[in-house]
Amino acid sequence: MRRLSVRRVAALLVVLALLATGCGTGRRTGPIQLTFWSWVPGIDKSVNLWNRTHPGVQVHLDQVTAGIDGGYAKMFSGVRAGSGPDLAQVEYWAIPAFMLEHGLVDLNRYGVRKYQDRFVPWQWHQGEFNGGVYAVPQASGPMALYYRADLFKKYGLQPPKTWADYAKAAAVIKQKDPTARIGTFPPANSQWFIALAWQAGAHWFGATDKWSVNIDDPATRKVAAYWDDLRRRDLISTMQDVQTGWYKAVHDGKIVSWVGPQWGDALLKGNAPNTAGKWRVAPMPQWDPEHETAANWGGSSTAVLRGSDHPTEAMEFAVWLNTDRHSINDLIEGGYGWPAAANVFKGSALDRPDPFFGGQRYNDVFADADRHIDTRWRWIPTTMSLIDTLNSGFTGAVTGNGSFAGTLGTAQSAAVRDMRRKGLQVVTPPER
Amino acid sequence: MRSRRTPWLFLAPFAVLFLAFFVVPIGYAIWQSFIGVRRTGALGLGGSQTTFAGLRNYADALAQTAFVPSVLRILLFGVVVVPVMIIAATALALLLDAASARWPRFFRTAYFLPYGIPGVLASIIWTFLYLPGMSPILEVFGWFGIQAEPLAGDGVLWAIANITIWEFAGYNMLVVVAQLQAVPAELYDAARVDGANAWHMVWRIKFPLIRPAVVLTTVFTIIGTIQLFSEPIVLKRSAPAITNDYTPNISAYNQAFLYNNYGLAAAEAVLLALVAFVLSFGFLRLVGRGGRAGGAR
Repeated sequence: MRRLSVRRVAALLVVLALLATGCGTGRRTGPIQLTFWSWVPGIDKSVNLWNRTHPGVQVHLDQVTAGIDGGYAKMFSGVRAGSGPDLAQVEYWAIPAFMLEHGLVDLNRYGVRKYQDRFVPWQWHQGEFNGGVYAVPQASGPMALYYRADLFKKYGLQPPKTWADYAKAAAVIKQKDPTARIGTFPPANSQWFIALAWQAGAHWFGATDKWSVNIDDPATRKVAAYWDDLRRRDLISTMQDVQTGWYKAVHDGKIVSWVGPQWGDALLKGNAPNTAGKWRVAPMPQWDPEHETAANWGGSSTAVLRGSDHPTEAMEFAVWLNTDRHSINDLIEGGYGWPAAANVFKGSALDRPDPFFGGQRYNDVFADADRHIDTRWRWIPTTMSLIDTLNSGFTGAVTGNGSFAGTLGTAQSAAVRDMRRKGLQVVTPPER
Repeated sequence: MRSRRTPWLFLAPFAVLFLAFFVVPIGYAIWQSFIGVRRTGALGLGGSQTTFAGLRNYADALAQTAFVPSVLRILLFGVVVVPVMIIAATALALLLDAASARWPRFFRTAYFLPYGIPGVLASIIWTFLYLPGMSPILEVFGWFGIQAEPLAGDGVLWAIANITIWEFAGYNMLVVVAQLQAVPAELYDAARVDGANAWHMVWRIKFPLIRPAVVLTTVFTIIGTIQLFSEPIVLKRSAPAITNDYTPNISAYNQAFLYNNYGLAAAEAVLLALVAFVLSFGFLRLVGRGGRAGGAR
């Protein structure tokens, strides 16, 4: 009797154990949950749309701060600790840094190649390394000249076609209104400067089988010397851009134009609303008017971070987010930049006249700029500290220590040292 | 047997926490400061191994263009802020302790209040007070023809100094006030009988007796200065002169968490700790010697 009861108890335990493991290994009834860290305004709308239309895969969006001091430190720590999100907003320049920390999932393994033709080739290429695909491209930032048509007219100016014209216009504006300037050289925002060097034909970085770094090249030196000259003649402001004081100056007509990226439209509309209707967009000034080149500032991707339990679903979401028409229109409204999805401009929210720009179909200018970007540009794993080195040097220059051009040599040697410290092999151009 | 174990039992709660959150992290940081990385594969993306780096991280930290200047910047900051802070705190404490002080309790609380505001919030508030076109203070300056831009250029260091003094002078004052209140009243009575006036009391009684509190607040301020971090980080957004290696602590933070150079960051942190150690103990020795001389008199 006693023995039997022990057996019964044992049998019961076995059944319970089987049930328990059955529950453990069996499919969960709830949907798959993904977390996504991003800062793009309006992206919550796209995420909501996905969640409504894809009940099986629910994405939870966490807002992080944009920019170099924003969410990246948190993402790196998350990846390192194994507690990061499934997906993150990663700018093109930051992708190689994540690669080096083995922070991104190679989406090739999950069949991302079948989506490649939905994207613009050069933006797709920003996430490709050694045959792997580590990011789904989202948007770039082709640049043009935003200018106050009313003030240009008042000062008797046309939007400058060349950088020489830009310098002349700068002198006229200062002469007509000594408190106003044509624009600003943002000393602590060297991504702007990098974009201008990019336009001038610089190729700072290469990634073939070794990394190469060539910052202090003739094209970049030409750009730096140009802005050194305008700074010394006090023809430009050296105020930091896209921040409170700058918006106020823009709002008050003390900053008359901006060589800015396409995603800057939302910033102007949001921060200088009283200037609505007075802005126009023209192609950015050229070094050689015979040979049009444009610049690109920014651009980011949706990447799947190491440690994600659902890389396939995360990849599907990333592709959908950046190619679905409704999603793209939501993102355009938030000012996410120039779509990385191919052939979506026509008929999108970009393709219409805008009252803020006096009814101009201003994105036609950016569409043209987008066609003239040198698409061979690559980034290195230490871009982040390079940007900081440039920021320090440029800030020094505007406070009276050194020059923009002089910063380039410092930046070159610092970048090479940074990469070698990380155990990477770097090729540099022969010493001058 | 039991009696030998008992003290350890009482020490255990402290010792465990001290080991886990103090000794081990310090040891880990020191170990990390000797570690480097080696990478393989095309573009170095194949894989990575940690290697013993010897003193290379230390050499790198000292060779960096910005680390040594950031230490010098902090020392300059300290040379100004520490005396101003201590003089302000001591002066406020003595004023509140003066016999003729009105509403000393109210003012004591008022002076102490800024310490209750978290440093980050205080810095945000001060950012607005420093921005031309937003700040009521700068507007009043403008009425008198003074155009000030505290956040522009190198002057931002003193804008930060102002925030830290505003934040911590009240706290340091309170430490001094506590010491002043511990002064026995008989000493004042005796001095008064001997014909001492208010100044005599300050110089001959209060000053010598609050000396330990002043020494303590000075050491606090020296260490706090060396660790300067949150105020410049917050002001950074509006002050381009604040770079990512503006102070040694900011530099170490960015090297570790933004650039993923943990070895270098650890080396910077160890170097900074050495500076803090030398300065605070150097100061203590200095005043200790002075104290002995005073005692011999």
